[in-house]
Amino acid sequence: MSAPAFDQLFRAAGVTGWLYAADVDTGHDLGHGADEPMPTASMFKVPLLVALCRQADAGLLDLTERVTVTAADRVSGPTGISSMLDDVTISLRDLAYLMIALSDNTAADKLLGRVGFDAINTMLEAFGLKETRVAQGSGEMLGSMDVDTGHAWPFVDPDDIARLSVLDPARTNRSTAREMARLFGMIWRDEVASAPSCAWMRGVLNMQVWPHRMASGFPYDDVAVSGKTGTMPTLRCETGVVEYPDGGRYAVSVFTRSFGTALIQPRADAVIGTAARMAVDHLRR
Amino acid sequence: MDLVRHLRYFIVVAEELHFGNAAIRLGMAQPPLSQRIKRLEEELGVRLFDRSARQVRLTEPGRLLLGEAREIVGRVDRLHELARQGGRGTVLKVGVPPDLAATVLAALVAAFRESSPEVRLAPAEVWTADQVTALAEGTIDVGLVRHPVTAPGLTFGQVLVQAQGVLLAEGDPLASVGEVHLADLAGRELLMPPKEGEPGWRAEVLAECRRQGFVPAQVHEGAGLGLVLAGAAVAFGPRTELPGLAWRPLLGSPITSRVSTAWRAATPAVGDFSAAAVRTLKESAGMTHEGAAPVRRVSRRPGMLA
Repeated sequence: MSAPAFDQLFRAAGVTGWLYAADVDTGHDLGHGADEPMPTASMFKVPLLVALCRQADAGLLDLTERVTVTAADRVSGPTGISSMLDDVTISLRDLAYLMIALSDNTAADKLLGRVGFDAINTMLEAFGLKETRVAQGSGEMLGSMDVDTGHAWPFVDPDDIARLSVLDPARTNRSTAREMARLFGMIWRDEVASAPSCAWMRGVLNMQVWPHRMASGFPYDDVAVSGKTGTMPTLRCETGVVEYPDGGRYAVSVFTRSFGTALIQPRADAVIGTAARMAVDHLRR
Repeated sequence: MDLVRHLRYFIVVAEELHFGNAAIRLGMAQPPLSQRIKRLEEELGVRLFDRSARQVRLTEPGRLLLGEAREIVGRVDRLHELARQGGRGTVLKVGVPPDLAATVLAALVAAFRESSPEVRLAPAEVWTADQVTALAEGTIDVGLVRHPVTAPGLTFGQVLVQAQGVLLAEGDPLASVGEVHLADLAGRELLMPPKEGEPGWRAEVLAECRRQGFVPAQVHEGAGLGLVLAGAAVAFGPRTELPGLAWRPLLGSPITSRVSTAWRAATPAVGDFSAAAVRTLKESAGMTHEGAAPVRRVSRRPGMLA
């Protein structure tokens, strides 16, 4: 059984793509540029979520603790507390829900302030995820774009995009398709934290609101898709777990870079789902 | 020495950067050519070529003098031509883009004939980059160029603008909609004027396409619309009615062509042509004065940023 023609599929959608998919239970896997270091954009929020749970498991923090997010904490973003106007008092676990389900940047940076970069990176090292690192919060990533281009959003000029450090894995949060999918597989196998914490993380990842990427490849009531997206100019990615009616579970990670610089490219979003579907289909043969 | 003749030798060697090839082009042997270049260098008191390396290269003074040499030779040629024409009236040599609509060119010639009956118009179809060279060499007196174009020493007439639409094969599914967005063209191939001929326009158009989500799988070069008719490519242009083709406006007017006359030496005939061109292009080609470019609004959609 030859591997699907991913190059052709990605090219037809106007992108270059990298992918890794693995059966969560058997380890049977498939890759396409799976070890290429890639910027992770908002997907860095997943290792942050895991580190948060581990600190809660260790008794270092209480996920029901309520914190107040003020104007000073606010980072720009299109969703959640980032887009709200007033101070919000909220529990740490509800911040985590907003960070994952809506990709709320302010919620992420507030939690990152509590968890810390060292805790996340030490954890990743211990998991053997050597290519995955978290070095920037959402606010830093967004701020670097203004600095790199000398102007504010939007960033659609090809020249501007060539200058963005958030697209250079050496200068921003990074991982590979293989390692992102491995991290998800570990969450689904209860390996990264206590079983109740892993179950809670799976629930939060399952509540992600975006239907246009990985989920679009599995338009069936009896298939569950849980995941986390990441987006930067020309970069669209998502890692998730697809659960089939017969109990088959597949961790899939897809990264794409579009040739065009337009922000709205439904075909580039949808090909993440199509590629994931092709990969899962291949693993099930 | 015959300075003009020596300058001609200099120009050819500068173009070939190879004495043997230059000699062939000039129909002479290489040793006398080398000698004449040496004499010219003595006359001017500068080295024009660097022959030390294995290849021939222009020196910095050579580079500077080349433009002047072309101008002198061009003017001498023009002098001879004017003398040849004797009392038969002046001729205005005009360059126009090869893809200018035939009706527009006809209207242009008619308008100029009306305003300056004593001057004979000699139009030639030349792309923008070649017009710039032709203006420098004096082989045309005035051109109709596409912007952006940068060339020292050129003066431009009033810039006229025109929003471009897209030309599709009649059977293209997009021909059934009222307006087409650049992003809708994704996956299609594009036909553009030749890269060498219209470098500025091409770069501007392709950058805008990319910005709006259209990266053509292939960019074909040419002025004829055969590939569009065959459904193999799309092209940008003004509203056109041709059998087998459909023209649709582009949503948001992302592609705007900017055109003006250009000249090096202002003469009354050049001024008259320039005025006639502005008038005709507005009347028969639907071009307008350059206004403030519309600011493109980029919409925020949460899902595209998360």
